[in-house]
Amino acid sequence: MNELKHIAKKYKGTKLVLIILAVLTGISIIAQAYLIVTVVDRVFLQGQSFSQIAPYLACLALALIVRAGLTYASGRAGVRMAAKVKSEFRSRLLAKFTNNPVQSSLQGQSGQKVSVMMDAVDEIDSYFSQYIPQVIQTSVVPLMIIIVAFNQHLYTGLLMMITAPFIPLFFIIIGIKTQKKSEEQMDKMAAFSGKFLDTLQGLTTLKLFGRSQKQKDSIRESSLGFREATMEVLKVAFVSSLMLEYISMLSIGLIALELGLRLVVFESVTFFTAFFLLVLAPEFYLALKELGSAFHTGRGSMGAARKIMNELEKKDHPVSWGEHELNASTPPAISLKSAGFHYNEGFELKNVTVDIKPYAKVAIVGQSGAGKSTLLNLLAGLVSPSKGQVLIEGRPLSDYRERAWYYELSYISQQPYIFSGTIEDNIVIGSSKEVSKEAIKEAAQQAGIMELIDSLDQGLDTQVGEAGRGLSGGEKQRLAIARAFLKNPSVVLFDEPTTGLDLKTEQILQASIRELSRRSTVITVAHRLHTIQHADIILFLKKGELAAKGTHAELMDSVPEYRNMVAVQQGGEAE
Amino acid sequence: MKELSIVIREVGREKKDILYSILFGFLAGITAVGLFASSGYLISKAALMPPLYALTVMIALLKLFGLARAVSRYGERYFSHRATFTILSNLRVNFFERLEPLAPGIFQKYRSGDLLARIVGDVESLQNFFLRVYYPPIVLIIVFLSTIVFTSFFSIYIALVLVLGLLLTALVIPAVFAYSQRRIDHTVRERRGELSTEVTELLYGFRELKLYQRLEEKERMLISSSEDYIQEQERDGVQSMFNQSINTAASLMISWVVLALGAYLVIGGQLNGLFLAMLVMISLTVFENATPMAAFPGHLEESRRASNRLYSVVKEEPVITQEPKIDLPQTEALSVDFREAAYRFENEGRNVIDGVTLHLPAGSKTAIVGPSGSGKSTLLMLMLKVLHAKSGKVLLANHSIQNIEAEAIWQKSNVVLQENHFFYGTIRDNLEMARDGLSDEDLKSVLVKVRMSHFSLEDEVFEKGENLSGGEKQRLAIARALLKGERLWVLDEPTSSIDALTERFIYDELFKQAVDDTVILVSHRLTGLEAMDQIVVMEDGRIVENGSFNELMAKKGYFFEMKQIEKSVFG
Repeated sequence: MNELKHIAKKYKGTKLVLIILAVLTGISIIAQAYLIVTVVDRVFLQGQSFSQIAPYLACLALALIVRAGLTYASGRAGVRMAAKVKSEFRSRLLAKFTNNPVQSSLQGQSGQKVSVMMDAVDEIDSYFSQYIPQVIQTSVVPLMIIIVAFNQHLYTGLLMMITAPFIPLFFIIIGIKTQKKSEEQMDKMAAFSGKFLDTLQGLTTLKLFGRSQKQKDSIRESSLGFREATMEVLKVAFVSSLMLEYISMLSIGLIALELGLRLVVFESVTFFTAFFLLVLAPEFYLALKELGSAFHTGRGSMGAARKIMNELEKKDHPVSWGEHELNASTPPAISLKSAGFHYNEGFELKNVTVDIKPYAKVAIVGQSGAGKSTLLNLLAGLVSPSKGQVLIEGRPLSDYRERAWYYELSYISQQPYIFSGTIEDNIVIGSSKEVSKEAIKEAAQQAGIMELIDSLDQGLDTQVGEAGRGLSGGEKQRLAIARAFLKNPSVVLFDEPTTGLDLKTEQILQASIRELSRRSTVITVAHRLHTIQHADIILFLKKGELAAKGTHAELMDSVPEYRNMVAVQQGGEAE
Repeated sequence: MKELSIVIREVGREKKDILYSILFGFLAGITAVGLFASSGYLISKAALMPPLYALTVMIALLKLFGLARAVSRYGERYFSHRATFTILSNLRVNFFERLEPLAPGIFQKYRSGDLLARIVGDVESLQNFFLRVYYPPIVLIIVFLSTIVFTSFFSIYIALVLVLGLLLTALVIPAVFAYSQRRIDHTVRERRGELSTEVTELLYGFRELKLYQRLEEKERMLISSSEDYIQEQERDGVQSMFNQSINTAASLMISWVVLALGAYLVIGGQLNGLFLAMLVMISLTVFENATPMAAFPGHLEESRRASNRLYSVVKEEPVITQEPKIDLPQTEALSVDFREAAYRFENEGRNVIDGVTLHLPAGSKTAIVGPSGSGKSTLLMLMLKVLHAKSGKVLLANHSIQNIEAEAIWQKSNVVLQENHFFYGTIRDNLEMARDGLSDEDLKSVLVKVRMSHFSLEDEVFEKGENLSGGEKQRLAIARALLKGERLWVLDEPTSSIDALTERFIYDELFKQAVDDTVILVSHRLTGLEAMDQIVVMEDGRIVENGSFNELMAKKGYFFEMKQIEKSVFG
């Protein structure tokens, strides 16, 4: 909860407004009680006429409306504050994620991040929209009532002061007890609650083995088990509110008893004072009890806040860029000088030194986990080297303008991301300039996907991605190739698919890479014998180190491990 | 509303708990009114200097109401929550009963991974239905009616004011706001969807966005849709605050009218002044019960939506014409035929299976190969009658499967799917489901056959087999198929996560057992297919070519080319 408190501190203005509203609410509550009592007193005991009490009635109407209005105003201030906090959190999370996301998307945590950005941010809402306004109300209103009580009748004030602390005290005691109890029940509850989903997920298997009929009973059993476990926890919570109810009832009763005795036996208070205090007493305890329910709401936000903070506190290693322009009418020379990559406890890529000449065909090979993708990301400028340098035209990559570098670069990944939009949108994303319809069609043609597009009713305007038509792995590859053709870059990074695609896509990939390498430097994480045989230079990685480099023939000659790898492959045995 | 009526019916089955919830809810409400009424009366009475015993009785009454109220509130909470959880259990069972006959075809039809999670979530969200929609209005009305009857003994006019107040705060105001609330809810959901898309695209498509320098643009879009969403949420929050305040204001004003009218009546001599304080206290208390009604339309709408979504999943399928059922031969191996079979998924333009004609003789071994998305798995689903061919025919043992119960087909086949489910329990539990009457020896020897003898039968299996690797899960699934021991084998990429050496070993075991059986194997690899009687190559839902390994290699067609590529692909 500390993180949230810390953030709440920043909203001093809103808090001040809430305090003022709470004070006004307190005044209206007291005024309401005072006016009701006045009217009853004057009509009942003093026998005044209607016109004599009319002004009081008018004031009362006003007080009531003001009270409702204040509830609205304070709720609104809370909602506003929550909106601002949520907006701030999302911006900060976004900044964090975009600063350092390649590592995390490499670690496959995108799903978790989506949930933090969406759900966790939404969940902190109630802390600001409900908990804070209620806490402020509760710290102000009872205080005002108790002051009035002391002012009216010392003993009532004293009774309130003595009994009030029992309410928060009980909250704390019972809170601790429920916590323990619910922790004990947690495992049980989790096991029971997962059963339904587990059964639904396994329904296919169950049906195929003819075992689905019995599951009905086991769903019922586990649901009822869940009920028992939950009721154990809830019972404690219900008993706690029962106790609180008792405390406040008992206290109100004490106050009533004391006032009654004074009124009748000792005749030391007036009807007005007694009635007035009796109307105020429930308001006093009600405000205290409401804190409890608000606290409950606030606690739900704590877990969410912790999730967000965990993300925000992660160390990031942003990639830095400079101001230098890159004018490449021909592909730039790329070289790595003792470049390495190692952050946190993760994977380490060590000491890679290599010169890549313009128009070179480079193949990176090695077993999975050897560091191929990391090397490709390093070359792409998606991560920055933790040791050594990546040099472009003899100058560190970080000296160049980000835009200038990416203008020259295309990256075809194994699983190209298809954005929701039309096919045309997805091809055009490759280009930074305005492009004509002809150019798009030309690129699609070269990537061998025009035939498919023509077969669709809406052609280039067909919706793809999330809500649109599903594309097969091969079609996605070809779409990514079309992006590259449209962009016409001077450096192409290509992560070759590890699984076999359909024949057509395989052929198109080979032809396309051949075509692209005529105009640019092509660096491929290679999974095809064909690709490495045609490479000008092969980078053979092993356990994060550059084990050897050279042409296919050279490596076959001099590196036994490489020879072995190729031999296994040609024997047709996997791995 | 039809869907909600199913829920209402399920709720109605917990009569005892409902009755208790209403009873205690009523007691809690009415004792609160009694408590404040008597405190108002007490203080007025005291002002008139009554004999002390009258006061003692009143105070005793006050205490009694106080205690009774606290206890009944406890009872109400206890029984209503108990009822809620029992109802959830009933709903789960009820939904399962409807879903079970439609599975597994229905999962194929939707093709959406989150369908199940959504079902679970929707059932959960129905817990508010009983707790906030079903019984509170009943309690509210009974409490009000009793209060109004009680009040009418003192003043019929004040009773009338309370009636009007009830109508206003419990009916008119919530109804007025229900409409605008529904519209805002709708926009909030829409905005949330938009934001969710933006976030997903940015995080999953990050690399592409960065490389194509579209990241900043996307960030701006994300921020702006986040702002839109938050703004709608804010509007929603402010609106519901407003509704609540209006309802509070209305109920306070009713109490004001009670006071003003009461004062007028007292002055006119039509009401004893002794009761004025009591009536005002009654009014202030009884309307506390009505304020939560402002949130009623929201909960109702939510429940309605959840039940609609839930039960639309299991809406009755069109009944397939019931022809006389044919029994499959008990012990013989079965032949399989496809005749011009075609299938297309809902909402998709093209056929996944497009006119497939194929003959698999009884006892033959067939491999189906082809790129992903070519329709291999769908072909198996048609054969298992999980999906129904849109046109053409599928025959088993020369009978159209239209005339055979799906359950009968499943009973006669050993199926290993790409994704096999494992249940929370032990290895033994997960194996024993294959067939009744399996001995420990059977189970242990099958573990040897799939090279899992390092596992004991008592080893724990977590939910969905989370503690097993992909390869272990596949081996366990094959073990189940081996245990089942029927004569038709339907295997969908059963070894994709198993290394080549182990794969060889397991296949040897499998084909030894299946030597006279019909085997259909969808294979992700082109190796080890030399011994198959027939290899079927599929692309785009059609059969490109089929024949034995040697025939296809000699033909130098599609299979040959694929084989060349596979040879050159590094792991």
